[in-house]
Amino acid sequence: MKYIFKRIGLLLITMILVSFLTFLAFEIVSGDPVRNMLGTDASPAQIEALRQELGLDKPFLSRYVSWLLGFFSGDLGRSFSYKQPVWELISSKLVITLALSLISFALIILVSIPLGVFSYQWVGGPLDGVRTAFNQLCMAVPPFFTGILLSWTFGVILKVFTPGDFPGFAKDPGGSFVHLFFAAICLSIPRIAMTVRMMRSTIVDEMNKAYVRTAISRGNNRWSVLTRHVLKNSLVLVVTFLGQTLAELVAASIVVEQVLGIPGLGRFLVASISHRDYPVVQAIVVILAFWVVLAGTISDIVNRRIDPRLRLGGEDE
Amino acid sequence: MNKRIFLAWTLSVMLGAFLLSGCANTAAGNAGSADTAAEAAAEKTERAKANEAVVGIAQDFDSLDPHHMTAAGTKEILFNIYEGLMKPNAAGEIVPAVASECEKSEDGKTYTFTLRDGVTFHNGEAVTAEDVVYSINRRRDGKDTAAQLEALSVIDEVQGEGNTVTITLKEASNEFLAHVMNAYIIPADYAELETKPVGTGPFKFVSRAVQDEMVLERFDEYWGEAPGLSKVTFKILENAEGLILGLQSGALDLVAHLSSDQIVQLEEGDFEIEEGSMNLVQALYLNNAVKPFDDVRVRQALSYAIDKQAVIDLAFDGYGIPLGTSMFPSFEKYYDASLTDYYPHDVEKAKELLAEAGYPDGFSMSITVPSNYTPHVNTATVLVEQLKEAGITATVEPVDWGTWLEEVYGNRQFESTITGLTSDNMTARKLLERFGSEVGNNFTNYNNADYDAILAEALQETDDAKQTELYKALEKNLTENAANVYLQDMADLVAVRKGLSGLTFYPIYVLDVSALHWAE
Repeated sequence: MKYIFKRIGLLLITMILVSFLTFLAFEIVSGDPVRNMLGTDASPAQIEALRQELGLDKPFLSRYVSWLLGFFSGDLGRSFSYKQPVWELISSKLVITLALSLISFALIILVSIPLGVFSYQWVGGPLDGVRTAFNQLCMAVPPFFTGILLSWTFGVILKVFTPGDFPGFAKDPGGSFVHLFFAAICLSIPRIAMTVRMMRSTIVDEMNKAYVRTAISRGNNRWSVLTRHVLKNSLVLVVTFLGQTLAELVAASIVVEQVLGIPGLGRFLVASISHRDYPVVQAIVVILAFWVVLAGTISDIVNRRIDPRLRLGGEDE
Repeated sequence: MNKRIFLAWTLSVMLGAFLLSGCANTAAGNAGSADTAAEAAAEKTERAKANEAVVGIAQDFDSLDPHHMTAAGTKEILFNIYEGLMKPNAAGEIVPAVASECEKSEDGKTYTFTLRDGVTFHNGEAVTAEDVVYSINRRRDGKDTAAQLEALSVIDEVQGEGNTVTITLKEASNEFLAHVMNAYIIPADYAELETKPVGTGPFKFVSRAVQDEMVLERFDEYWGEAPGLSKVTFKILENAEGLILGLQSGALDLVAHLSSDQIVQLEEGDFEIEEGSMNLVQALYLNNAVKPFDDVRVRQALSYAIDKQAVIDLAFDGYGIPLGTSMFPSFEKYYDASLTDYYPHDVEKAKELLAEAGYPDGFSMSITVPSNYTPHVNTATVLVEQLKEAGITATVEPVDWGTWLEEVYGNRQFESTITGLTSDNMTARKLLERFGSEVGNNFTNYNNADYDAILAEALQETDDAKQTELYKALEKNLTENAANVYLQDMADLVAVRKGLSGLTFYPIYVLDVSALHWAE
């Protein structure tokens, strides 16, 4: 119970802090939403009038407080550029980006954990060098490049999906899934490589520990020790890393969304920043902050399940 | 213990099963989408059969309200939805649209428009004089500040009766018709333009998804020639690779404003590349108020130091028309080709002028460029090298568009910048007035007494031929004083899928999709 309250408190503080910093960042950087909307021919009178209409003439703190009050009463405000409620604009995009992140995350878990265990088997073997090199390559390849490569191969040549034409869940759920699946591959490749390397090194560390030596000297075979004890112990670090990955995926999806033409949150965030559409940016940033804290909480809870020491030694008890 | 072993095994089996099901899923996904692939291939012809097309564009619309839109990329597309009393045609003439006739009084102060019979809005209602009066007033009466069009303040009164609308001006103006074009006709007191635009153009609005797409349909009751396509979708793909992949995958049929390195990626068999011009003046715009650019000799030295043709060859693969002043060739009437080579590429001359101005060892300068416009960034890179030869050390400072608008265009805090200036209303005035010393959008701070005098005279002149001469004199003044380093009118490269024809280029920045049609 105490744990839940602590987490909710952390969530609120993070969201308020992040929204304040975003507000502040826009206050500091140059660029003016009003000038952006009115273009190069605007007269000073027009600029002043629109500034008043949008409430941008009010002092910084009062604008922030009124945004915060609106936020807590469930009102994310209206977009400057689109003159529509922010929530209406972002909700459909949120679903797409969330789906993309979850598919990527599922891919990462399903591929990297078994691969990590198997790659330990290769340690010191003849193929280990090849594996390391391949792993490095996968880590280094930017999703943007994989995006072009996969779009070209599966989109242009094989015609499995159509880059630039995301059908939308309402119209064609299957086609949308395939489209997102390829985007998810681009997103997950470098992260799979990182997870595999991490698993491999934690397993190597763990296997050199005294309890493993003892277990083996008592006649257990290596494989059963690995799956029964070592895996569980090495997962704690990996789960923490996966939690961070889950949080990062949303941000990482921006470029892939652009290349594959997926109308997601990331693209919208970038466009809104360049238009200085504060209400939209503010809302998306807060959602991302929520997502990051949520991912951290999930990985924390999973770790407490895996490792009883975290449950017992924690300050909450 | 046995239980534990059992558990471990179950876990491994489950993991394996996960893995396999992952693969199976992929396989199933592939098999399932093999159908969608066939569908996609069929869809291409399907789209041609259904008489539809998808156009890729690089940015979302800033507003769907024709009186609020300011972005060139928005005006370009909404041209297909909205019309004014008059509209431009591809030949660069101003022709009647919602009005069928326009009569100008002897003194040039009264314009009488006869409304065209049978023009209806996309919502089915007939266009009345009341709608026209409302639309024009909305752009000038001050109730909606953002909709105000400075140029329409010349109007004294707008009256509508029956099927005629009479506009009285405070003073005669040669450019009035060009400005009244921008008072797009909308239904009186219609409040939902942002979400459900209604106009009189050849295409009507169907739907829009923010930062994704906008769908238009042929307007069957259109007064003019019926459009060739029954449906046009504008798909927003802000990433250059995304646009090219979209063309290659069959998602898009037409993309305009491509760069020369983008078009080489397209296979010749599938697309036609059409070349027009962007109708803009790309230049290294100089802040004439800061040192050393306040010295005419320095500005001239820069003009000599730069080789425009080399810029076009290096950064644009040879596509583009070199310019020597603030005017481009499609404004034929006002264009003076003799100014293009006023400053031939001559590094020695540049060095001499610099020495004369007190900079024998050159100087350092910054070139601020909007980083989202790759062509301008590439141009800056070439210019840096060329200026180096004359002993000038230039550095490129990329900034985002919002910053550029505020710092460079608004606050005039810059040394030099590269951008393209356009005229969205077919008047020379739009291109030239901005260099008057007292003018609000003179971001280059050009300050020349002769220029101001000729400009004042030109704006007063009611005789068209005389006014044209004065505008040409202004162009010459800009060239002689090297107000800016003029570069080129950039090429507009358009990729069009084979079978789709009817693309027409305009002397202003519009993409008219009404004449597009698929071959039989």
